[in-house]
Amino acid sequence: MITTYEDEVVCAPRAGTLYDVLELILDRGMVIDVFVRVSLVGIEILKVDARIVVASVDTYLRFAEACNRLDLERDVRSKTVPELFGGPVAKAVGRTGARRTARSLTDKVRDVLAPPEQDLPEEDLPAEDLPAEDVRDGVRTPAGRERERRAARHQRRSPAARPGGEARPRARRRPAAEE
Amino acid sequence: MPTLAPPAVTGLGTLYVYGIAAAGVRAPRATGVAGSPVGLLTESGLCAAVSPAPERPRARRRDLLAHQAVLEELVAQGPVLPMRFAVLTPRPDALRAQLRSDAAHLKRQLDDIAGCVELNVKGTVVADCLAELVRRDEQLRTLALRARRRPGYDADVRLGEALAKAVRREARRAAREVLARLTPLAVRTADGPLDDGRVLSTSFLVRADDEPGFRREVAARARAHRDRLALGVTGPLPCYSFVEARPASRPAGR
Repeated sequence: MITTYEDEVVCAPRAGTLYDVLELILDRGMVIDVFVRVSLVGIEILKVDARIVVASVDTYLRFAEACNRLDLERDVRSKTVPELFGGPVAKAVGRTGARRTARSLTDKVRDVLAPPEQDLPEEDLPAEDLPAEDVRDGVRTPAGRERERRAARHQRRSPAARPGGEARPRARRRPAAEE
Repeated sequence: MPTLAPPAVTGLGTLYVYGIAAAGVRAPRATGVAGSPVGLLTESGLCAAVSPAPERPRARRRDLLAHQAVLEELVAQGPVLPMRFAVLTPRPDALRAQLRSDAAHLKRQLDDIAGCVELNVKGTVVADCLAELVRRDEQLRTLALRARRRPGYDADVRLGEALAKAVRREARRAAREVLARLTPLAVRTADGPLDDGRVLSTSFLVRADDEPGFRREVAARARAHRDRLALGVTGPLPCYSFVEARPASRPAGR
């Protein structure tokens, strides 16, 4: 459950295809009464079930670990879960990363092509994520810019991002309220 | 008209049956189960794709693929009633008799699936929404905080189990939504087995013309739910799920 591996990832493409249709070939389709249908003893199949068994303590512990790595104070998306489980989750995150890079690249191309007085379209990121100097600067690499954006975001949120999560900020807040 | 009669068909002995189509199709060139050549046996306007049966049929990977490949070649030529894997007939004349007595019924089924393909959609649980669930769900949050304040095996197991349940519930909800969106695009549907991780397993009988639209919808749903449900489409397939398993109702019954 937790996470699933796409069959192509686990098996060769053809095996993936076969795995997906296995139950159909074996359990559906027509049977004719007068025909003999051999009993398939000891099915010698590559039934590679790569899915993680959900109801297992092992999975619970991994979930808990992933959850424990979340910063409950911050509005974050878990980046730790994919690392933990791999598979399509990691792939999805990889894709997101790639898209982000592509987007940055587009930004850069625009930076270069667009007349300087023309405003950048705002479809990509909220304005707050694009410091003015960043927009003007056409020299940095897309990856570098992305790193900086992340850093900027991190800085902005860092007061709440200290380790210790929930308990600490609350402890800080309380004295403030008392004052 | 290809009245192909390879040794398999004329010879005595058990035949492996792949599927039934309208008479007039070309014999599949694909190699059959156990490496045997595939021939056609024609009777009453129908023909069955057959090959000599292996002595002990087993669901070996290459045999399953061969079964599938033969059917796919037939499907490319028109509607086919696919047999389940490892359906055998003791003698060619038994098969002929079957085709003859059941011709009307079989032809009606061929008409029913004409121009259609089977698309199988499976959905499995993805846990990328875990952070969101913890944020949203007060109970999960409480468990998570408790596990942090008093770390330990039991707390982690309790937390993990609650998370697993929540993630699965999300996936099931998404699966229901997907099903509701896809069903109107299909002629018929057939549900398959579900389990802990597999929350969607349904075959759709889709008009061939509607396949691109169907796939687009699946892709759109997959994007919408990608942090909780992984969707995959397999097909177009022979219509395994949309033929009556037992067409040979007793001759007197009709």
